[in-house]
Amino acid sequence: MTTILFCLQSALKSIWREKWINMLTTLSISIGLLILCIFAVITINMDSALQRWSKNFGMVVYLNDTIDKQRQDELNAYFLKDKDISEVNFISKEQALNEVKKALGNNAIILDDFTENPLPASFELKLKDGLLEPALVKRKAGEMAKIEGIEEVQYGEKWLSSLYAISKTMKFGAILFGCAIFIAITFITYCTIKIFFHRKSEEIETLKLLGATKVFTKLPFLIEGLFIGAIGGIISSLAIYGAFIFTTTKVVEFLPSIKMMTSSMPLEIYIIIPLAGALMSTLGSFIAVGKIRY
Amino acid sequence: MIMLSDVTKSYEKEYILKNLSFTIGKGELTFITGPSGAGKSTLLKLIYCSERPDSGHIVVGDWPVTKLKQKAIPYLRRSIGIVFQDFKLLNNLTIFENVALALRINGMSTAEVKEHVNSILREVKLTHKSKIYPLQLSGGEQQRVVVARAIVTKPAVLLADEPTGNLDAGNTEVIMNLFSEINTRGTTVLIATHNEWLYQGSGRRVFHLKDHHIDKEFIG
Repeated sequence: MTTILFCLQSALKSIWREKWINMLTTLSISIGLLILCIFAVITINMDSALQRWSKNFGMVVYLNDTIDKQRQDELNAYFLKDKDISEVNFISKEQALNEVKKALGNNAIILDDFTENPLPASFELKLKDGLLEPALVKRKAGEMAKIEGIEEVQYGEKWLSSLYAISKTMKFGAILFGCAIFIAITFITYCTIKIFFHRKSEEIETLKLLGATKVFTKLPFLIEGLFIGAIGGIISSLAIYGAFIFTTTKVVEFLPSIKMMTSSMPLEIYIIIPLAGALMSTLGSFIAVGKIRY
Repeated sequence: MIMLSDVTKSYEKEYILKNLSFTIGKGELTFITGPSGAGKSTLLKLIYCSERPDSGHIVVGDWPVTKLKQKAIPYLRRSIGIVFQDFKLLNNLTIFENVALALRINGMSTAEVKEHVNSILREVKLTHKSKIYPLQLSGGEQQRVVVARAIVTKPAVLLADEPTGNLDAGNTEVIMNLFSEINTRGTTVLIATHNEWLYQGSGRRVFHLKDHHIDKEFIG
């Protein structure tokens, strides 16, 4: 315990003694984390928007005109039993015609030329969220098209592919960007602590000769790195909180749609950022200190 | 207390020490002398495991120095007090903090550290300078701080490498008196010096190093 307290004291003294370089490092870390957070918030919001859009995604299964009521019921039961389908909605020929009429409005008059209802009966199906993968939906549609009594299966193939590609690219980008910031912060701290370590090489040598263990020698540097990262993270958290307050109170007045975006920012982020900063920074310090040999 | 058996050390195929053997008993005060470059400092470094011998065995107390693993070396060094030729004081720490460092490394509490450091500073007559920094002290005073740091942990062995190399006669006497006093308390003391004045008439054993080995052993 006394060793930890002494190392803590040494680290704090060093932070104060090297305040300018430490301040610069802390600022660099906070900027890095801030950029990462902004990107994370954008990604989270865009992802939730995509999720909302994907909830409206459906397949339309058109039925043969010759199909009887019994077959219709059998198909309804079949779709309800399918564990991949979350919602089944039957649209009769009459309902379909009414909807078209409603959509055409005053132009519905053109339908009067038809002696018979040209529209087929159909099922509107909604797939479960996790199954909205283009290949999976295509396979499902192909299977359904082969069922007796089904004329055609339609779904927004291109729309689904685009949505899926955007979502995948964004997630990949977020991981890549996160890794880049992680490496950058670790490297910044690595450089700072490496400089301190070189400056104190004589002091370290003396400590070793007096019987200091590796932990006793390394711990002040690790604590220093931890503090730098945590403070950088706290600054980022405060900046994000400030931006959040500003957005929700001021920006929202002339850009109301921004409210939808900011509402989905998780509260834990204010704790996660300093922790992440501390972790990355401590890792950088750990690498910088390296192996101590006697 | 200190036992060397057939110890050989070389740098880039050039012998520094060759088949060196001697034993120093517990509570002895012994000198190692010889011309510059004879290997006196290397010998001390081998004892506190800053260097490893090419061959041979070294034992300090219960510590088989030559067989020690890396992680055990700090603990060996805690049982040895070292007075360095170049002082190795930390200039950003006060005199008190420099002396306290050895105790902090041993994990001693703040209250104990305070008590021990004040007591040792009284002994080396530097209490009034405890709050100033090493560079504000004279060479003799700095050497007294180094001695204080070396003995504050009450080590079983004290090694001194040219402890009076840069000191005037007055300061040399003060330092030597300190060593004698420490020795009377039971600490084994080994002093490496080329200063004949230190051991002449001391009545202590002296090992003379020449051509990589001890060429004579005599009473000073």
